[in-house]
Amino acid sequence: MARRPDEDYDYLFKVVLIGDSGVGKSNLLSRFTRNEFCLESKSTIGVEFATRTLQVEGRTIKAQIWDTAGQERYRAITSAYYRGALGALLVYDVTKPTTFDNVSRWLKELRDHADSNIVIMLIGNKTDLKHLRAVATEDAQGFAEKEGLSFIETSALEATNVEKAFQTILSEIYRIISKKSLASDEPAPTSIKEGKTLVVGPQDNNTKKTCCSTS
Amino acid sequence: MEKKRVEEQEGVPVALPKVDRFGFVKQETSATDGPTKSRSALEHEREERRIRKWRKMIGVGGSDWKHYVRRKPHVVKRRIRKGIPDCLRGLVWQLISGSRDLLLMNPGVYEQLVIYETSASELDIIRDISRTFPSHIFFQQRHGPGQRSLYNVLKAYSVYDRDVGYVQGMGFVAGLLLLYMSEEDAFWLLVALLKGAVHAPMEGLYLVGLPLVQQYLFQLDHLVKEYLPKLGEHFAQEMINPSMYASQWFITVFSYSFPFHLALRIWDVFLFEGVKIVFKVGLALLKYCHDDLVKLPFEKLIHALRNFPNDAMNPDMLLPMAYSIKVSKRLEELKEEYEKENGKLSDRIRQKLQPS
Ligand SMILES: Nc1nc2c(ncn2[C@@H]2O[C@H](COP(=O)(O)OP(=O)(O)O)[C@@H](O)[C@H]2O)c(=O)[nH]1
Ligand SMILES: [Mg+2]
Repeated sequence: MARRPDEDYDYLFKVVLIGDSGVGKSNLLSRFTRNEFCLESKSTIGVEFATRTLQVEGRTIKAQIWDTAGQERYRAITSAYYRGALGALLVYDVTKPTTFDNVSRWLKELRDHADSNIVIMLIGNKTDLKHLRAVATEDAQGFAEKEGLSFIETSALEATNVEKAFQTILSEIYRIISKKSLASDEPAPTSIKEGKTLVVGPQDNNTKKTCCSTS
Repeated sequence: MEKKRVEEQEGVPVALPKVDRFGFVKQETSATDGPTKSRSALEHEREERRIRKWRKMIGVGGSDWKHYVRRKPHVVKRRIRKGIPDCLRGLVWQLISGSRDLLLMNPGVYEQLVIYETSASELDIIRDISRTFPSHIFFQQRHGPGQRSLYNVLKAYSVYDRDVGYVQGMGFVAGLLLLYMSEEDAFWLLVALLKGAVHAPMEGLYLVGLPLVQQYLFQLDHLVKEYLPKLGEHFAQEMINPSMYASQWFITVFSYSFPFHLALRIWDVFLFEGVKIVFKVGLALLKYCHDDLVKLPFEKLIHALRNFPNDAMNPDMLLPMAYSIKVSKRLEELKEEYEKENGKLSDRIRQKLQPS
């Protein structure tokens, strides 16, 4: 099948956005993919989806990002979307300690439903609300180190570190993947390029689809 | 009615924003508005006649309604499918949903729930209040009457039914009702819907595990494959499943992201005929856009399924198409099929509610 110009990328990485409701997941996504922010955005019902293609480590990466409803009840439908994700952005709100306390529960959720080698990044959002801050950077940093997560603080409103957060997790995924393909016996880079999405469990749906459509 | 009330905020006079005829703040190219062309005298006359007919059918304060429905159910069904006149909508919705009876049987209950009870969901509700119909003038003002009513109704319900509590999406249902009736009326209509006063109870959409959402998505998946085989095949190839686009159709009965004039028309029928109209409208949308959809790859497909073109949203085109799609028998069979695998809905609910 011929590649359309807008489908031109070296890798397709699936990433999920998770975390309590109201922490700013949907706005981080709209800031990253459309450079938009909305103070009065609707709550997310079920799952939403957006993509952006960008350069990471000299490669063209298409990030396919799934945004999920944060309320616990919705995990019945959202957890299916963790499957096949190479990365997870786990967001809390720096002004709401309970959303930080719940991070461990989200980690458990990922352990139960996501691939075991998923790259996880902890994000403390809403740093623009300085006077309302209730979760110290050091606490979150310490927690992230202990759990082996990368960590960054962002403001979707002021567009602070949003680009960097996505860049960082995508690079991390890229590094893991390129290491893996070097280690395997297969003629690595070209096969990756043609397969587009790679390095996900056999149960991943979108991967299969993209692989098939290019062959 | 309260939706007309637009007051300045905190004493600062503000220019009134431009709103469409339902009270949504207008964007430049507003898709929420229905046809706005000025009506001819003839059309106006026809509308007046329609309202008179409706008034007669309902009787004073709804006194003749039950009698009329029993005598001429087909006339009522046909008229509702053409759309309930907007000025009578609130009243008629209460009559057809059975909420009027609930209200009369439970005097003082709502007040009790609002004033004296506390709910574990209060913070969850507050967090979503300003994220429910944020572009509607009635709900825009922080702590204004719209937001307060919405909070009260949702809180009252979360106390009334602690198993359901509050789930995101319920706010859009309650919000839509509040544009047409008082808080207390909206509350009892919510009860009538979730507890199934007339049709199948909706509570399974919101209970732990969202068991009814899962069942409806299963049913829709099969209906698409059977009714639109080519599209069904394309969805299968592109790995699209209904949870990616249709959860909100069921959870909010099209009130989350569809143009309001269309949502209202769907609600008219939904309250009278039940959930099968949601399947029918869903299938009609897919059918109308079929030839475009079958050409799209995964990502564009998802986008298209969440952003149907404006011409597809015309109720006078879409609804007749929906009515012509027959789903009742297959829905019943598919439900049985689903239950064979997963157990009866009541058992599925009980299982989830009892901590194992
Ligand atoms: N001040 C501030 N508000 C934010 C920021 N990100 C999101 N919000 C607001 O927080 C609320 C919830 O955001 P949303 O993206 O819908 O959260 P989600 O439920 O996690 O998807 C909305 O009112 C946003 O406008 C931020 O960085 N700073
Ligand atoms: Mg969201």
